[in-house]
Amino acid sequence: MSTMNLEPVPGRTDEMIVNMGPQHPATHGVLRVVLGLEGERITRAVPHIGYLHRNHEKIEEARTYPMVIPYTDRMDYVSGTQNELPFVLAIEDMLGVEVPDRARKIRTMFFELFRLASHLVWMGTAMLDLGAISPFLYTFWDREIILGIVEKTAGARMLPNYYTFGGVRRDVHPDFFKEVADLLDHLERRMVDYEHLVLESPVVHARTIGVGVLSKERAIARGVSGPVLRASGVAYDVRKAFPYDAYPDVEFEIPTSPDGDTYARFWVRFQEMYQSIRILRQLLELTPKTGPFKGKAPARIKPPAGERYRAVENSRGELGVFVISDGTDKPYRVKHRGAAFSNLQIIPDLFIGAKFSDAIAILSSLDPVFGEIDR
Amino acid sequence: MSLLQEVWQAVKAIGTGMATVHKRVYEEAPTEFYPYVKPDLPPVSVQSLALVENEDGSERCIVCLQCERACPAQVITIERHRNPEGKGFLIDRFDIDLVNCMYCAACVEACPVSSIVTIQDFEMSTYDLRTLRADIDFLHEQARNSRQWYSPKFGVEIRTEDGRIEKAPPEMQPGGLAEILKPAEEVDS
Ligand code: SF4
Ligand code: SF4
Repeated sequence: MSTMNLEPVPGRTDEMIVNMGPQHPATHGVLRVVLGLEGERITRAVPHIGYLHRNHEKIEEARTYPMVIPYTDRMDYVSGTQNELPFVLAIEDMLGVEVPDRARKIRTMFFELFRLASHLVWMGTAMLDLGAISPFLYTFWDREIILGIVEKTAGARMLPNYYTFGGVRRDVHPDFFKEVADLLDHLERRMVDYEHLVLESPVVHARTIGVGVLSKERAIARGVSGPVLRASGVAYDVRKAFPYDAYPDVEFEIPTSPDGDTYARFWVRFQEMYQSIRILRQLLELTPKTGPFKGKAPARIKPPAGERYRAVENSRGELGVFVISDGTDKPYRVKHRGAAFSNLQIIPDLFIGAKFSDAIAILSSLDPVFGEIDR
Repeated sequence: MSLLQEVWQAVKAIGTGMATVHKRVYEEAPTEFYPYVKPDLPPVSVQSLALVENEDGSERCIVCLQCERACPAQVITIERHRNPEGKGFLIDRFDIDLVNCMYCAACVEACPVSSIVTIQDFEMSTYDLRTLRADIDFLHEQARNSRQWYSPKFGVEIRTEDGRIEKAPPEMQPGGLAEILKPAEEVDS
């Protein structure tokens, strides 16, 4: 019996093999899970990935260092500039490039804006999976404002290609700080509504509390990270553990929940949005309105031979990049460590024994993005 | 939980949900009635590429191949020959495969004379992908049809009614450039 495709067990007639995806709307892209079903209960689950494979890592070996940045954007397309940062940080380390303080803060502001945007998308689609349509419309409405702010400065909405070695590509738009302040006021009002519609809804409680419980030990053993790990009670956050950019300058907390169920993952993402708003408020105060936005980087990027791993905490967890340089202007190897990819590994753990309709709720609480998983 | 409590919970949830939804009904919708209303895109927005000519119709591009080298998707193809009279090069071929272009604007950043620029024409959908293999005539046409374009070197440039090319006023410029454009004493004070 091949391990990839589930074969029916000879003599067992009560188990049904069902293909979920890859075109299923609740799989957030192109995940295919082969499920063995015994009535409503899932007995076996094998996830299949690779339907969105675009060969990023191999292409990046054939590109010069500045050319790699737009490719990294296209991994996790929901969280834009967050993907560029690990690669940019790794190369800056290798080159020893100084990043001006203001550039660090601008980078962090964009980083947190995209965390808000990404969590808003998650909230909308997760509620859509549970059968509620209105939150989806409202979260995309709010995300639209964030993307508008990003577009005004970076020139693109989802794939901005904005960070560069030594800072950011261009200075922020003159209206940027005011628009972010307005956005935060607006979002704080909206978060009250979202709490009503999502966290306090008895329907959400019934669908999520006690569903898909991931124990602390299992979460650590499987290498999950981000909100999924923190919902299982592990306070690990790259922003605190290995601070980068302007995170040492701001105060924030790492929300954790001991429960490890689907509701805890929902709750942790909500608290993270409050923390993002808090970080952005502090950065609005701290960031000088004018000043340098880019440090001195060499015209031809040629890091000395060596290797470097850098990680950041993106919306889904630890997003890392491992770069090997052989001293030429092209990387010898670029390996991306995707958070969503590692988080997807726990699917068999959580699915087996759950009901089929709960599987959808569990999957949406993992918040997978297939651009990053398949790369 | 008693039945009464459960019923109260359900009624309360429906009430809160309805109230929240009701609040939004009177808010201004964020959607635009495209194509009747064209979206107002910021001037730095990267929607398509164009090749700008000078006011007198001569080529701005000096055929230095910087854009071809900088392109991550490697979709720019340029062929050139030496100018027989005078110095520099002349273009034989300047193609951009806009199907595979990822609109990263690395070419625009690399160009030393701001010949290749980003424009806001996003209405490029087509039934035939071959129409998006842009050659030099197509790229010139795109520039001629644009009222404004952006490149990091020159900032936002606008085409006036009588066909001249001018730098846009500071309030139209994106971040950074507005500082540079202001008179020196204004920045000092
Ligand atoms: S926008 Fe990017 S992908 Fe497109 S032609 Fe320019 S450099 Fe190449
Ligand atoms: S970089 Fe500019 S000047 Fe050089 S070939 Fe490209 S368009 Fe022409």
